[in-house]
Amino acid sequence: MLRLLLIYIKLLSIQIRSQMQYRVSFLLEVISTALLNGMYFASLALVLERFGQIAGWKLGEIAFLAGMAETSFATMDMLFSGFDPDGFSPMVRLGRFDQILLRPINITLQVFGSRFIIRRLGRILEGVTILVISFALTDIQWTIGKMLYLPVVFISQVIAMGSLFVVGGTLIFWTVQPIEAVNIVTYGGTELMTYPMNIYPGWIQRFFTYVIPFVFMNFYPALYFLNKPDPLNFPSFAPFLSPFAALSMLLLAMVFWRFGINHYQSTGS
Amino acid sequence: MQFFWRLVSVSFRQETTYRTAMWAGLATNLFFGLLKAALITALYAGKGEVNALSFGGAITFVGLTQALIAFHRLFGSTDLMTTVYSGQVATDLLRPVGLYPFWMARELGRSLFNLMGRGILYMVFFRMFFPLQFPCSLLQWMTFMISVSLAWFVSFSWNFLVNLVSFWTTDGRGVARIAYTLSQFLSGFIMPLALLPDWFSRLCSWTPFPAIVNTPVEVYLGMHHGSELIWLLVLQVVWFLVLAGVGHLVLQAGLRRLVIQGG
Amino acid sequence: MSNIIRVANLVKIFRVSNRQPGWFGLVRNLISAEYREVRAVDGINFNLERGELVGYLGPNGAGKSTTLKILTGLLVPTSGEVQVDGYIPWKNRSAYVSRVGAVFGQRTTLWWDLPVIDSFDLLQPMYRIPPQRFRQNLKEFTEILELGPFLNTPVRSLSLGQRMRADLVAALMHDPPLLFLDEPTIGLDVVAKERIRQFIQYIHQKQSTTIILTTHDLSDVEKLCERVIILDLGKVLYDGSLSQLTARFEGNRTMVVTFAEDYRDINLPGVPLPQRQGERVVYTFDPRQISSSELVEQLLGRYRVADLELHRPEIGETIRRIYEEKLLHLK
Repeated sequence: MLRLLLIYIKLLSIQIRSQMQYRVSFLLEVISTALLNGMYFASLALVLERFGQIAGWKLGEIAFLAGMAETSFATMDMLFSGFDPDGFSPMVRLGRFDQILLRPINITLQVFGSRFIIRRLGRILEGVTILVISFALTDIQWTIGKMLYLPVVFISQVIAMGSLFVVGGTLIFWTVQPIEAVNIVTYGGTELMTYPMNIYPGWIQRFFTYVIPFVFMNFYPALYFLNKPDPLNFPSFAPFLSPFAALSMLLLAMVFWRFGINHYQSTGS
Repeated sequence: MQFFWRLVSVSFRQETTYRTAMWAGLATNLFFGLLKAALITALYAGKGEVNALSFGGAITFVGLTQALIAFHRLFGSTDLMTTVYSGQVATDLLRPVGLYPFWMARELGRSLFNLMGRGILYMVFFRMFFPLQFPCSLLQWMTFMISVSLAWFVSFSWNFLVNLVSFWTTDGRGVARIAYTLSQFLSGFIMPLALLPDWFSRLCSWTPFPAIVNTPVEVYLGMHHGSELIWLLVLQVVWFLVLAGVGHLVLQAGLRRLVIQGG
Repeated sequence: MSNIIRVANLVKIFRVSNRQPGWFGLVRNLISAEYREVRAVDGINFNLERGELVGYLGPNGAGKSTTLKILTGLLVPTSGEVQVDGYIPWKNRSAYVSRVGAVFGQRTTLWWDLPVIDSFDLLQPMYRIPPQRFRQNLKEFTEILELGPFLNTPVRSLSLGQRMRADLVAALMHDPPLLFLDEPTIGLDVVAKERIRQFIQYIHQKQSTTIILTTHDLSDVEKLCERVIILDLGKVLYDGSLSQLTARFEGNRTMVVTFAEDYRDINLPGVPLPQRQGERVVYTFDPRQISSSELVEQLLGRYRVADLELHRPEIGETIRRIYEEKLLHLK
């Protein structure tokens, strides 16, 4: 399947090349994206100056949550861009999806390769910066386990959020126009994961535990890394559920995606 | 003048057809409002008041700012910019009103609809989750309405000005993104200015942006009285005039450029 | 059997919702959906042999694009059998699609922002084209269709004619045994059309490619197709040779004569009265009642003729009449 990987890389490099055509403009875009997204965190940091903490979480600890969420969301946004309803909707509407069906290559791979917005790198940069600030402000006891688990958590977040994009894209087969509800759980979900889960009303906590398991994506792993007590009294293995939750979300999303393609092929456009 | 009001009503009616977008916007704003309110609750941690902003006031602040998003077009509009890039602006310039009043009429129509559809309606939904404070006297209501109307003019003039960069650069959207993030940051939209460090809110007061969000909401909450209140309202008027004046000058320069370039 | 395409009893029914616009319509639709059935394809049968070049015609809404979508594997039929090159198009999609080339006049098959050559380069690993064959085809097609000047231009900057040529090459780069052309000359000027037609003919002869051509430009059909299948309302109305079709349905021909002398009586027996147009005389006649050659014989037998022009109605005219007057519909 080296051939498929090669094709995917080629598809991405097309877009990278065309987006990087104007070096200066591109660099400015990346930097401005980093700064602009950073302003939101800066606001929070300034507010925390006055209050000292949120629900027992100090600035450095919040920065851990924010850094992880920002970096993973931006990475996901870059990789899963093809499924982003805003990008996939024109693809279906303008008949470009038919073109994908006419090529002898896996459909999902083509959709992945169809859109890659390199400007998102700015937000990745911002997220990593915040994460580094977090490491500087907190004194995490880094064990081998923690060092190995951190990338796992990161990848799980990317996959979990990505599955939502896949679902959002699949819905386009029925609705053609993007559905706002998807934006609420993706953008809103990222915002949600930036703060400790226990500040939210019960029904929001329950929704993001049993329906979309975001609680296991950022909050619980953070408790593990930062050695903080669990305010919600979940089982002690809760911090390690992130890869499993993410993979099950991905599996469900892919099943739905397949279902969506079959629907498209039986009803046309 | 008649043309102006005709435009307003056409724009209003056009906006009513975007009902799906209205509900979608309401849902999104509601979710983010909930998150922010939860954040405020956790921050206050039982304290009754911080820096003269009461807890109930802070919650109301969140609700009111979300409700005003659509009314003020707080995330910024690039509609005028789009007409410049598409060439449509040339046709618009032939109308019996200047470009500034022309867009003001269109935006006013939309905003009046959104005042109800995403403003008042938002507050109704928000109230289902959190208690809201209301102005306690007729005078307070009236000063609030004056302040929020002035805020609208400031916001509109700012949006108009930002869009004018399109006369000079093809990457107007890039500039707009930066400009609008800055205005959000300094206006008290992300967090009430009272909760930010004093040096920061002093910095912001050198810009027109608090006049768009922070001022009208604080007036609503009755946080200012007497000469202080009058001063804030006057400041809003001043910023409106400044932005409108600068906008006018920049527009003239931009139009000259347009003519020279040949449209 | 050298049938490469077999279509039997093909039916495709679409359920179209009678949705009312607006918010209430949406909610109502969730509760009790009302549907209307549209039989886009209503029992189509035909077979194609390897190497045939067939015109697939019909007025708008006849079911042509639906059939084409089914044949290319984009759409699954409601019922019926389809076999193309031994495959069922919508099953085994990936394997089937590598045996097919398709050109859609209305939109490009190439990558919009890429230079043409980069699009072609992507095709090579996609279709597993052996590198040497790829280079060979690229060179040959580029020469014939003169793609050289714009190989490095992004697709979005191409003129319509250039884009069509590039699309055609892209469709044929992997030597598919089957080619589906959906309006390949739409919007092109006469010279460009002729180029595309010649290339299609060239490929057809060289590779014995089986080609299905859908077009509204009937001179395409006239120049390229021996066989036509005419569709309307989802059914096949005619499947046979083009010449037979015109022989059956062609309207009146005209013969324009310039006489050497000024004759007063120019009527001929069995022929409707001619019209004088200045110095010329126009005879309009039904070729089924009197053939062109008979008419010429009579004219030359009676008069001294300086010049003679025979006009047959354009094929487009004939087919248009077939659509409009529903000449093929069973009464």
